[in-house]
Parts: sequence; C-alpha cells; structure tokens
Amino acid sequence: MKRHLLGVVAAGLTVALGVSGCGKGSSSDSGSDGKTIKFVAAIYDDNTKPYWDALIKDFEAKNSGYKVNLEMVDWSQMDAKVKTYVQTKQVPDVLNYNAFSDFARDGLIYKASEVLSPTTLSDFTPTFVEQAKYNGEQYGLPFISSARLLFYNKDLFEKAGIKSPPATWDEVKADAKKIKKGSTIGYGLPLGPEEAQAEFYSWAMNNGGGWVDASGKWAINQQANIDTLTFLKDLNKSGLTQPNPESTDRKTVFNQFAQGKVGMAIGGPFTKAGFIDPVNKSLNFGVAPLPSKSGSEHNTLGVMDVLAAFKKDDSKNKDAVKKFLDFFYQKENTSKFLTTEGFLPVTKSAGDALSADPYMKQFVDALPTSKFAPTTNPAWSAVAGAVKQDLGSSVANKDPKSVLDKIQETAEKAG
Amino acid sequence: MQDLKTRRRGAATSQAPRPSLLRRTGRALTPLAWLGPSLVLICVVVLWPVIEMVRTSLQHITSSGVTVGYNGTTNYTDLFDEDDLIPVVLRTLLWVGGIVVITMTLSLALGQLLNARFPGRRVVRWAVIVPWAASVLMTALIWKWMLDNYSGLVNRVLLDLHIIDKPVNWLAHPGQAMLWMMWVAVFVSLPFTSFVILAGLQTIPEDVYEAARVDGASAFRTYFGITLPLLRPAILIASIINVINVFNSFPIIWAMTAGGPGSDTDTTTTFMYKLAFYDQHVGESGAMAVVNFALILVMVLFYLRAARWREEVR
Repeated sequence: MKRHLLGVVAAGLTVALGVSGCGKGSSSDSGSDGKTIKFVAAIYDDNTKPYWDALIKDFEAKNSGYKVNLEMVDWSQMDAKVKTYVQTKQVPDVLNYNAFSDFARDGLIYKASEVLSPTTLSDFTPTFVEQAKYNGEQYGLPFISSARLLFYNKDLFEKAGIKSPPATWDEVKADAKKIKKGSTIGYGLPLGPEEAQAEFYSWAMNNGGGWVDASGKWAINQQANIDTLTFLKDLNKSGLTQPNPESTDRKTVFNQFAQGKVGMAIGGPFTKAGFIDPVNKSLNFGVAPLPSKSGSEHNTLGVMDVLAAFKKDDSKNKDAVKKFLDFFYQKENTSKFLTTEGFLPVTKSAGDALSADPYMKQFVDALPTSKFAPTTNPAWSAVAGAVKQDLGSSVANKDPKSVLDKIQETAEKAG
Repeated sequence: MQDLKTRRRGAATSQAPRPSLLRRTGRALTPLAWLGPSLVLICVVVLWPVIEMVRTSLQHITSSGVTVGYNGTTNYTDLFDEDDLIPVVLRTLLWVGGIVVITMTLSLALGQLLNARFPGRRVVRWAVIVPWAASVLMTALIWKWMLDNYSGLVNRVLLDLHIIDKPVNWLAHPGQAMLWMMWVAVFVSLPFTSFVILAGLQTIPEDVYEAARVDGASAFRTYFGITLPLLRPAILIASIINVINVFNSFPIIWAMTAGGPGSDTDTTTTFMYKLAFYDQHVGESGAMAVVNFALILVMVLFYLRAARWREEVR
C-alpha cells in the first residue's frame, strides 16, 4: 500500500510538473559551418508549405553548398514556439512572424541593412519600412501586408431597400436595424480573443482614436476610444450584432456571413479565399471603405508580417541568411507568394502583381490610407495580449471606460 | 537429489571467506543498481523541473524570452496584484472539488454495475473505456461544437423539444460554460475512476458477503458496512489522482472557452498560460506555476490527512 501511495504521489508530481516544466537546452546547434540555416515559417494556409518547399529547392540548386532547413509552425502555436526558441537559445536563423521590436530591443536580430542587399532594401515601400523600425533603425523585414475593409451582403442590402453601403456610424446602425430579421444579423462583431485588437482599431481609427497619442505615448483610454466602445456596445445591446461579441471569433462571423446570415462585417483580402469561398462560392457581396463616425475620412487598418534574421554563431550565418533573403525578395518569388496566399505587397516591384484582380485591387488601393498597430513598440505584444483577453467584455457587461483604463495601466507597466 | 543439494550448500558455506571492505561497500551499494534508474528518473523528471520552475519565477525574463537576471520577488508581487487572481483560485477549487466529488459518486455506481453479472457486461465495460481512449482535446472540441450557438446539436435538440425557444450561446456565459466544462471533465474522468473502483470491488472476498447474508444484513447495510469501508484504498487512490489531473486540466478549458470571456472561466492552469503568452510575462507565469504547485501539494496533503492514510499503510 505504501509503495502504491508513493508511486501515486510521484506520478502526481510528474503530472503537476508536466505543465510548468520548461527545460533549457544547450545553445549548440548543428550546421555552424555558416552554410546551413534554419527557417521557421508560419502556416498561412495549405499552400504555404508547398510554396516554401519549392522555393528552397530552387535556392539550393542555384547556390550549391547552401542548405535551408524549413520548419512550418501554425499561427496558433507560433507565440509559444518563438518564446521557447529564444528562452532555450535555439533561435532559427530566419523567422516569419508578426513582431520584431522586442527582438531588436534585446539585441537578438540583425539590422535590415546587414542582411539585405541595397537593391532589396530600397525596394520596400516606405510605409512599411516605417513600421519595421526600432529606435530609428530598420530591423524588421516587411514580408506581407494586409488591409481591412467592410464586407457587405448585397442581397440582404437589396432586400432591406438599402442602396449603398454605409459611410457613417449612424448609417451602420440604421442599416443593421433594417437588415436584422429573424436569425439574420445586422453587423458581425468579432471581439473574442482571436483578434479583438484589429476589430476595435478598425472602428477607433475612424473616430480619431487609436493606441497612442501624437507623441507616441500610450493613450488607450482616450475619449475617442471610449466613445467607440460605447457605440459598439450600443450595437450589441440593441440586438444588432450576433449574440456575445466578447466570445466570437472572426471565423464564426464569416462563416455566418458566407451563409448569407450577416449583413456587414470587417474582413481582409484573404477573407474571400479563406472564409467565404469554402462555404458559399456564389455569395453576392461587396467591399466598401470602413465607415467612420463623421463619414468624411475613411482610414484602413494595415497589418504587416515580417521576417526577422537572428544573430547566431558569432554572425557566421550572416552570409547564408543574406543570400536566402535576397533570393526570396526577387520580384517573381515575392509576387508568387502574394498571389498564392492572397496578401498585399510590401515591395514596389511586386506592387502591380495583384492589381489585375479587381477584388484584390480594392485592398491594394486602400493601403495608402492604412494605419498600423504600434508594432514598433516592444511593449505592443503585451498590450495586444491584454486587449485580446479583456476588450470584449466592454461591449457585454463591463463599463468601456474601466476596461480601457485597465488596459492602459497594463500598457504603461509594460513600457 | 536431496544429497546433491546438501552437498552444495555445505560447499558454499565452507568457501565463504570474511568479506573484505571492498566487498562490503560493494554489497552496500548493490541496491543502488536497482534504485539508481528510478532515482535518476525522479531527479530528472521531478526535481529538476521543480528547481527550474522556482528559478524561472525569480527571474526577469523579457517579452521576447531573454533572461536578464534575478529580480527577487517582483514576479510574485506582480502576480498577487492581479485582480483576477483570487477569483481564479476560488474557481479552481470549485472546479476540482465539484468534478472529483461528482466523478467519485458516479464511479461508485458505475463500478458496482460493471462488477455485477449480466449479459453483455463485456460490451458495457468496453463502452465505459471509450471516453478514456479518445483524446481529451478531441472530446472537448466535440462538445464545443455540440454546444455551438449556430449549429450545435444541443441547441437543436432543446429547440425541437420546445425546452428553449431560441438558441442559447452556452459557452459564452461563464456560469453555464463552467457547468458544461465540468461535465466534460467528469465524462473523461469516469472511465479511469470506475475501473479503479471495479478493481477494488474485485478484491473484496466473497465470504465476507456470505457472512453478512447469513447474519441477515440488508443490502443497504452490506454496502455501507462492508463494500464502502473495504473500498477505501481504491477510493483514496482514485480521488488523489483525479484531484491532480483535474487541477492541471488544460485542454478542456482551453479548447472550449480558452478561459474567456476575460478570465471568467480560467483556472490557475489556463491563467498561468495566459500570463506567459498573452501578457508576455514569463516570470510572473513561473510564479503562478509555483503557487499552483504549492496549492496542489497542500490539497493532496490535506486530503491524505483527512483520509488518515497512515492507518491505511499500517
């Protein structure tokens, strides 16, 4: 009996530790000849891996002796993986991610000028270069971009007797009221943990709100943001959104949208191929600028993913990394990625690759008015984390101001 | 034959010299050869992670994951400053207590059923094992979709039976979500628990029951006077393992509500994960892990004490 109990306790301890135990591996990594590099790429969809496989094969054929080891990571695993890589000192040479500034702050990555040829460097669109800087120096390597616009169901609009998509917030509310009928939802509002920060900012920026003030200080609890949440809360409480926006993710909203049960929702260039087509290819929908409070100026949410090149083995990897990156940034290679995945260009040379597609063109055209989350601030990822967890509750049972106050506090603490 | 054995024994005794010092130490160390592997295992999988965990909780780790150095108890003060901490801990205790009590009660009945002789017992026994064989994550995801607001089976059935008149978004309301997740946790804990009970039931000798029958004890009396007391070791082990398992249960909550809305359905385990990967505060998450570890130790010790396990050992 005693032995059993001891065994149980030991087993219990092991289980108890399973969750919390995180070991530290050694920093030694094979392939320190400087010609073999590890590339961790994010899975955007099923086409991502075949694309990289082909690209790497091509690269290795044209640069004999060089080798790229590819590891694909799902976006839902990415944050945990990246943190583990850094903590265990097993960083990849090149990482495809959505943040870079805390790596730059901690001295983990190369400056863009160290790993890209001048031609490639000057090919980036200036808007994105601005988003890739830390302390005035470019560290992030813009990879893909995306923009958000208002998707609306033309059939539902026609049935409700609405002629054009809403330009102002009042029109959004009025149109949602006309569309709402039975199980049909006026506006699909995803404020669940998946991407609450994007949905909220898409509204707030069109009310003069945002994350920071003119001097770059956190201004999350500014009046314009409180007003934005109050408006969204009113939409929810008037029954014009789907039930429980605080726990709804984008996927759910666009699944309903694709079934023709949602009047309006905010989506990106990938929404058609990723969410609508798989459910209902014949959906009659349109895309319009994001509505604003005043209706006079319409901003767009810009999103940018980056590549980051990590310092390793006393910079021995620099040469191989540079070769690989310059290879990827060749016009035909980047534009192939963009067309495969449905994203917007970050380089001038790939700029016109997508404009031929009328659906894509709307997003390309919206890019110049786009505003970005403050990804250049290393504290942003902590702020985004707080927003994802807590913002949604402000349109449900909590007071918008107190929710924003709390996030502001988190932001100031994070830096 | 007998002869041979004696002769051999005799030879052995006469040959044995006084063991040398080397020999004696060697003999003293022999048990290590048997104990060694398990000691190493305990050190590597139990002690080392505990030390690492405590170390992490005392370190300043930046949002990217770089360790800057020790920063005393800052992580702990940050953790105790979290408004959500107390509700999360209380919810965890409720979560563990509720699930373990319900699981044990149901398992006692199920174990009894599985022990009884009836046609098709084999099939029933297999059926009870199935939820155990399925991955917990899969079970949780299936329930998540069954409870879905738009296309969930549960809403469909309740609507068709006219019990509700419009779909209920079960997992969006913390109270209901908690109950449903506890149900899933009970569901996945049942197989293991009822089989431990079944094993316990099978160790009870038949003649004890016979004696009770002869004395004319009622079924009720037999159960509470014989079965339950003799099941004590099985119940003890099953509940300790369940307490630990349920306490650390991550996949059910993570798959079904991810602890949301806010942290209204978080337990300490999911909260710990959020601290590291949402709030980018690995050190504070380490502190939470230490608190979690202490909590579970205290709970198990209390339980053992209450169950007076030492008597069991004697």
